[in-house]
Amino acid sequence: MRVNPNPYVDILAEVAQTQQQIALDEQQIATGSSVNQPSDNPAAAAVLSQNASETSAADQFQRSLGSVQGEIQNADAALSSVTTSLQQAISLGVEGANGTDNAADRDAIATQLQGIQSQLISLANLSYQGNYVFGGTATQTTPYIADPTSPSGVTYQGNSGVNDVTLGEHFSLQTNLPGSQLFSNPSNSVFQSIQDLITSLQSGNGIEAAVNEVSTASNYVDAQRVFYGNALNQLTAQQTYLGTETTQLAQQQNAEGGADLTQVISNLTSEQTSLQATLAAVAQTAHTNLFEYLK
Amino acid sequence: MSSLNASLASALSGLIAEQGAMDATTNDVANVNTPGYSREQPVLVSSDPAVIGALTYGTGVTLQSLESIRDPILEAQIQEQTQAQGQFTSLTSALQQAQVSFTTSTNDIGTSISNFFNSINQLSTNPSDLALRQGVLTAAGNLADSFHTTANSLNQQQSSLDLSVVSQVNQINQLTQQIAQLNTQVSNLENVDQNAGSFIDERQQAIDQLSSLVDVSVIPTNNTLTLTTANGAPLVAGQQSFQLQTAVNATGLHDVDSQGNDITSQITSGQLGGTLAARDQEIPAIQSQLNTLASGLVNAVNGVQQGGFDLNGDAGTDLFNPPPASGAAAAASLSVAITDPALIAASSDGSAGSNGNAEALYALSERPVISGQSPSDYYSGIVFNVGNAASNAEAEQTASTQVLQQLNDQRASVSGVSLDEEAANLVQFQDAYSASAQVITTINDMMYAAIQMSTLTG
Repeated sequence: MRVNPNPYVDILAEVAQTQQQIALDEQQIATGSSVNQPSDNPAAAAVLSQNASETSAADQFQRSLGSVQGEIQNADAALSSVTTSLQQAISLGVEGANGTDNAADRDAIATQLQGIQSQLISLANLSYQGNYVFGGTATQTTPYIADPTSPSGVTYQGNSGVNDVTLGEHFSLQTNLPGSQLFSNPSNSVFQSIQDLITSLQSGNGIEAAVNEVSTASNYVDAQRVFYGNALNQLTAQQTYLGTETTQLAQQQNAEGGADLTQVISNLTSEQTSLQATLAAVAQTAHTNLFEYLK
Repeated sequence: MSSLNASLASALSGLIAEQGAMDATTNDVANVNTPGYSREQPVLVSSDPAVIGALTYGTGVTLQSLESIRDPILEAQIQEQTQAQGQFTSLTSALQQAQVSFTTSTNDIGTSISNFFNSINQLSTNPSDLALRQGVLTAAGNLADSFHTTANSLNQQQSSLDLSVVSQVNQINQLTQQIAQLNTQVSNLENVDQNAGSFIDERQQAIDQLSSLVDVSVIPTNNTLTLTTANGAPLVAGQQSFQLQTAVNATGLHDVDSQGNDITSQITSGQLGGTLAARDQEIPAIQSQLNTLASGLVNAVNGVQQGGFDLNGDAGTDLFNPPPASGAAAAASLSVAITDPALIAASSDGSAGSNGNAEALYALSERPVISGQSPSDYYSGIVFNVGNAASNAEAEQTASTQVLQQLNDQRASVSGVSLDEEAANLVQFQDAYSASAQVITTINDMMYAAIQMSTLTG
């Protein structure tokens, strides 16, 4: 049978194909990725694009979580100080309720309580990174100002708004409680109870009832603190979850688009061998034809 | 009865025929590397015998023709495969360029979308912070840039494909002109029963080149060829060629016209077919998806913006300039409408510290706002489509290249010049020539003997 007398075209095509494959393998080794352009594996490229978006979102959630955590820890600490101050107020109130105290003693105690009152105002005006923490969503306005004309001794300038921050694909967390709920709740007002205690000490009437009111308010604040404690626990749990998710996403990325280096290097070796063999074969056989022998 | 003179004539015919056969071999060897050349074989027939009395004498040999060896069916298959290969080569090259914009990088659209929503999530943790607000504006600007870069590169690609259409049509016109001239030369020779082998080879080579450009169908008519596109638009009829024209259409791209008819959409094969498919179908499909993504995203973000309040407590305004109503060029014209970071409507209740609307903006990242898909899902769908189109074109190109290579192999095994064969032929013809020459020498001796004899007797 007659064969193609000019095998060079075929050989060159084979050589070019092998070289192209070698270039692809080398690219995979260099990038560590088997999907270097969408056409390498369109389905994997689409998954990798989603994976990149999810990974980026998970990283962002970690950063946002850090910011939120700082604010909540500060709020929690402030509430703890509020409880301590209220405990001091209760001790002072009990002391004032003692029948042996005279009016001057009670006035002195009332003055001490006014100090606690302003301490409470400053705690309730806690600011974190330029924002008032207990003003609802009115974070740029001082939440509480002392106001002798008000029955509770203060005026609340904030609002009752709350913020939720998304910190996971299906997880969002309320990050604040407004002062109107924490400190000036109409049914359980910290400021009203302190003001009542001061007034009762000054007048000498109803001190015990006022002490009880402060005690109730203190318990109420303690109960509200649970919100922040829970939030911190949830943040820790979410942080762990995001860490796991990031790991899983990285595994998925590797499974979809990572180069199987063992396989690629083995392919590369056999391709190089085959290329060398082809070239060597050409060098050995190609130069002879009958004309050489007819002399 | 025979004569010495008749024998001399016979031997001479051998000399002449072998010389002619040698010509074929010489020409074959000379053209061993000529693309498209088909080897020639001498067709030797014995001359008509002379019948004298009861005896029939041979009168030597005639070189009837030098025949080019070729297989017309194979040629037709090669044309067809050349068209497919041309088509997928230009399609592959266009799509491989297009997919570069969709390869994951630091500023591809997918990454920019993620960064934009990330900046909003960060703002949500501290909605009154001007630095974070500026971060959102910067991310929005980067998002617009990513869309521009991708849209512009697709537009540029479309323009350069359009230039290719014009230059390919010019090449087609040159080739059809050349083929018409070759038709003339072939029929001139064949009409006087001459071998037009090398002109036919040249014409075949031109047809192959034409096949790589456009879908050609070849209709042989007596001594000449008629070429049309697969859809019947005339290219060459015998000795006349028909030029294709290009004309700018309403969209600013070139249509291909034949005899005043727009045949753009009918050209499906060859490089021109591939270029047109990339220019008129593949690239516009990607552009349209990008525009859907851009306008969907912009409308969703603006809608939420308008539902919230900015840092000053005023109702939110558009963050991005609204896309054109038709949605066309939405990606290329995407731009940020505001420069004051305070104007980002993060608040849902009008107070500076509310993040309710920032949360609503962020929620868009997961909501089915673009054709029932979230922005990043829709984008990854585009990545798949672009990659898939490129990968299919690559596979088709590889397949047609391999088939073409095999067909060319087969053609070469039929028509290619083998130096071994030619060397053998050379020896064969040389031997025959020498033998004929020897016969002439012998006849010469015989003649001499006869003349001597007459001298002796005379």
